[in-house]
Amino acid sequence: MGTFVIDGQEVQADPNKTVLEIAQELGLNIPTLCYHKSLSPYGACRICTVEIIWGKRSRLITACTYPAWEGMEVKTNSEKVIRARKLLLELKLAEAPGSPEIKKLAHEYGVEKTEFKVVGDEDNRCIMCGLCVRICEDVMGIGAIGFKNRGDRREITPPLEEYSDVCSTCGACVYVCPTGAIKLEEFTDRKPIPIPSEFDAGLTSRPCIYTPFPQAVPNKPVIDRENCMFFKTGDCRICESVCQPQAIKYDQEDIIIEEEVGAVVVATGFDLYPMIKLGEYGGGKIKNVIDGLAFERMLSASGPTQGEVRRPSDGVVPKEVVFIQCAGSRDPEQNLPYCSKICCMYTTKHAMLYKHRVPDGQPYVFYIDMRTGGKGYEEFYQRAIDEDDVVFLRGKVSKIYEEDGKVVVWGADTLTGKKVEIRADMAVLAMGIVPSEGTDELVRKLKIGCGDGGFLTEAHPKLRPVESMSAGFFLAGCAQAPKDIPEVVAQASGAASKVAALFSQERLYHEPIVAVVDEDICSGCKICIPMCPYEAREFDEEKKIVSVKEVLCEGCGACVAACPSGATQQRNLRDDQIFKMIEAGVEVT
Amino acid sequence: MSRLNSIKELDKLSKEILSGKDPKRKCITVCGGTGCIAYGSPNVVDAFKKELKQQKLEDKVDILVTGCHGFCERGPLVVIRPEGIFYQRIKPENIHEIIKDTVIDGKILDHLLYTDPITGEKIVYEHEVPFYKKQVRLVFGNNGFIEPTSITDYIGIGGYSALAKVLSGMTPEKVIDIVKKSGLRGRGGGGFPTGVKWESCRKAEGDVRYVLCNADEGDPGAYMDRSVLEGNPHSVLEGMIIGAYAIGSHEGYIYVRQEYPLAVKHFGIALEKTREYGLLGKNILGSGFDFDITINRGGGAFVCGESTALMASIEGNPGEPRAKHVHTVEKGLWDRPSNLNNVETWANVPLIINKGWEWYSKIGTEKSKGTKIFSLVGKVNNTGLVEIPMGMTLREVVYDIGGGIRGGKNFKAVQTGGPSGGVIPESLLDLPVDFERLTEAGSMMGSGGMIVMDDSNCMVDIAKYFINFLKDESCGKCTPCRQGLIQMHQILTDICQGQGVIEDLALLDKLCWIVSETSLCQLGATAPNPVLTTIRYFRDEYQAHIIDRKCPGGVCKELIHYFVDEERCVSLGHGCGACRRSCPQQAISGEKNQLHRIDQNKCNKCGICLDTCKFEAIILE
Repeated sequence: MGTFVIDGQEVQADPNKTVLEIAQELGLNIPTLCYHKSLSPYGACRICTVEIIWGKRSRLITACTYPAWEGMEVKTNSEKVIRARKLLLELKLAEAPGSPEIKKLAHEYGVEKTEFKVVGDEDNRCIMCGLCVRICEDVMGIGAIGFKNRGDRREITPPLEEYSDVCSTCGACVYVCPTGAIKLEEFTDRKPIPIPSEFDAGLTSRPCIYTPFPQAVPNKPVIDRENCMFFKTGDCRICESVCQPQAIKYDQEDIIIEEEVGAVVVATGFDLYPMIKLGEYGGGKIKNVIDGLAFERMLSASGPTQGEVRRPSDGVVPKEVVFIQCAGSRDPEQNLPYCSKICCMYTTKHAMLYKHRVPDGQPYVFYIDMRTGGKGYEEFYQRAIDEDDVVFLRGKVSKIYEEDGKVVVWGADTLTGKKVEIRADMAVLAMGIVPSEGTDELVRKLKIGCGDGGFLTEAHPKLRPVESMSAGFFLAGCAQAPKDIPEVVAQASGAASKVAALFSQERLYHEPIVAVVDEDICSGCKICIPMCPYEAREFDEEKKIVSVKEVLCEGCGACVAACPSGATQQRNLRDDQIFKMIEAGVEVT
Repeated sequence: MSRLNSIKELDKLSKEILSGKDPKRKCITVCGGTGCIAYGSPNVVDAFKKELKQQKLEDKVDILVTGCHGFCERGPLVVIRPEGIFYQRIKPENIHEIIKDTVIDGKILDHLLYTDPITGEKIVYEHEVPFYKKQVRLVFGNNGFIEPTSITDYIGIGGYSALAKVLSGMTPEKVIDIVKKSGLRGRGGGGFPTGVKWESCRKAEGDVRYVLCNADEGDPGAYMDRSVLEGNPHSVLEGMIIGAYAIGSHEGYIYVRQEYPLAVKHFGIALEKTREYGLLGKNILGSGFDFDITINRGGGAFVCGESTALMASIEGNPGEPRAKHVHTVEKGLWDRPSNLNNVETWANVPLIINKGWEWYSKIGTEKSKGTKIFSLVGKVNNTGLVEIPMGMTLREVVYDIGGGIRGGKNFKAVQTGGPSGGVIPESLLDLPVDFERLTEAGSMMGSGGMIVMDDSNCMVDIAKYFINFLKDESCGKCTPCRQGLIQMHQILTDICQGQGVIEDLALLDKLCWIVSETSLCQLGATAPNPVLTTIRYFRDEYQAHIIDRKCPGGVCKELIHYFVDEERCVSLGHGCGACRRSCPQQAISGEKNQLHRIDQNKCNKCGICLDTCKFEAIILE
């Protein structure tokens, strides 16, 4: 295979590639409009026009369709090419005067206005590149839209100009349109259902292929199989075609990694109590009632609103915001019995930050009572009242409803004994904290135990707060109980130290009281095996009796009680020893 | 009829048909071409049949309804053979006298004869009619002698003997060699050497090859292919079978435009008959060669005459061209090697095989061989289809065959090559018609349209007409063709409406450049030709529109005015009032015997007054 010359560089010819592909590999800039990697070249917009020279003959061709043949010379920026692109852009400006994208491209070529008359619609953005039609048909396999008529009457429309009944509102057409001309509502009466972004707490939507959050480890995109068109219909594969390193693998599966470890720190975190459970507050129904986490995302400079406080329904800056504490917490009759501990402080912070972002706005906080136990916490709370004019109202909110675009909050101020009604722009619920989803299943797997509310149980509430009931399992963070960041850090450090201490010993020490089996008596009935909560008992197939894994045995005695023949006894705490102890005790008294 | 299983059986049949023919037997041929049908030839045929029945001559005189004879201007045409007496503009009321006087008594009916408009001479015989005299009717000539739907008629004039010749021992390479040597070039407009195309297709990689016939004739005013298909479908079919044999194809398609129902009908009958006779289908004439053809009907898009758009359309996709860096002979229909030729090209093939490439290559010019059928229309006296050898000058076509300009007006230009062809001015009338010369003059051969214009045609309006046609018929896929033509049309409309500025000419020039240089297919690449050639040869007319705000051809309504010549109206016409009565706008006022006036505010410039006034008292400015 020979070579050809492109902008003075001699490169390998390859008739299976196009001039555009080779130019892109070389980093040469050729503008494109109707080209997309996931589609076969179409050659309609002609903007990728380049000049080719064969001997004495020179021609303008489109780089996207022309094969990289041996022996030719390509000029991507000759005078003739620039002249042609400028004129083509002038034609496009006359055709799609409403497209800022075309204006921008024209500007890059020094074309600020067109000499031609605008013959059609002044707001038109469509340049008839056909990407939408082709992606719908060729890539998504649907064909909901097509070209109607020809020549100057060419239009893009669903068949018979009726709403398409096959459009799946996948939005591929919108995604691929280079000029933002596509309006999905012109093709279908179905509404696309956005996939809410988990990381932005539902304030924005996310695509089917996405990086879960900015600091994700590994920091790689994942495919949402439930929504991905490829997994639904077998079509699309756009991500695969645009990924240059060809990293997309649809056949990748979750794999189970087995590791032998000496200790496990369970730090599975928390979830918010679902808003939908608070129907009286319009949870999940009123758009402008959001939870604290969503408000936190809103305040983040890298969040969906770049740190500006804007209400979700219309993006307007809210002038009155009501923060409601104990949303779900401390409500033993209906919801959670316990105090979620952190809400008083973060709500105070939210109210202050809101005031900083919206100086003419008014934050209100409804609380049952303020729990500001912690270093500097009370001072922080006082500052919110004194410096930032946050209005704290002691009392529970009974109802929130929507009226004339406002969020109406009904509550009581128990200090004055008066009913309070606030017509706010937005309400933020400080939802209670619950163990993260799946904690209960993990508890069963690890046999570490959990208490009321599903939080993990520590070995001793005062003396062993970072250890679980099972040896080798340690606890950290909100999986154990609601706590704020300094506490979490402290507990995690404690757990880490415990693990380090465990690993630094030359031998493992164990409580001496473990179960033993008298091999002569054991009949191998196996009753004891399921009784052991620590899986410390196993059946010896050779001897046909049960044996004990002493490292796992916590000496609880469940097996002893279960053993019908008395073959299982606790070492140093055998039945006869206990009886002797009882006898001795009785004698003394 | 039983199947012909060998070439010998075909020979035998051919001889039987010939021996059954009495050369002295009377035969009345009536043209059943589209033009003559429009003039009422079916009624003429019915009248003949009725009359023959009444005269009890049914067994002695044949009636033959043929395809188009070409001289459509004078239809319905009737030719009495074997003498070849040529009657024109025949109406059912003439039939009685034709049978009585000419057929029975052998008398010539003077008033039905054609009168040469130049010499005023009455012409008796068909071959003496000047319209036919200078023509060389190789492809078209048989139209007048056969019934289009009759396979035996075609075999009777030597039909399928070329196929027999090919199948009796000629190798495909030999056939290709003959076609190459003959110098036959594509009649669809491109003029690509047919033999070379066949050879490329034969050599292209692939198991399945297709042979296609382009009958999507869409040029306004052109109907050559239609008339060949309607009048002599077997000649096209025979050409395709020979081509398929040479290329190694077993499957063929003919793409006929929607608007040609008669062509589809006749070709469909031809397919049925050839299959019945064993000339198409499996094991053709016992040679072991298989080939069959499917008819595909177009949807009425001009652009589907473009090869890749045509193939896309056959595939069931929208008729849009694609980039042709890989030729269709390699990857065409369904990405398989495909050989597409035009109707007329295919019809030439049997001739070349029968008479030899040496004979064929002697006709025509150095690079353009054979004959070409043109559809001669517009302001000439004799309009119709003319088949001329390549190299005949435009002057001969327009004046000798076409009989000069109608109504004694002056020749202005002739437009060739269909909508994306160009106009050729009087100064180039001695241009020999062939592929190269026409292209050099800025026009092209195209599929053979030839529109003659006189000084009452406005060249800007002509350019606007063709650009409007192309703007409508462009597929709209690529920007330069779609939007460029919209813009050209806009500018030309402005000029015609008196809103042009002199910078428009430079803008048109730019547009022509971008459209021809960057369009995706040949429709776009050649679309600027009407503008380019009219500016090149008639720049003064553009300037008259732009600077003087005048339309020299008197066509552009915004730039013309009708006036009453006071002198003539009163002294010659005595204020007859004919113009006043005929004016649909009631823009003309005046009492009897008085001067009439036209109210310019009311006048919509329809020109009826000008046509109505017998005293030439209406002036167009």
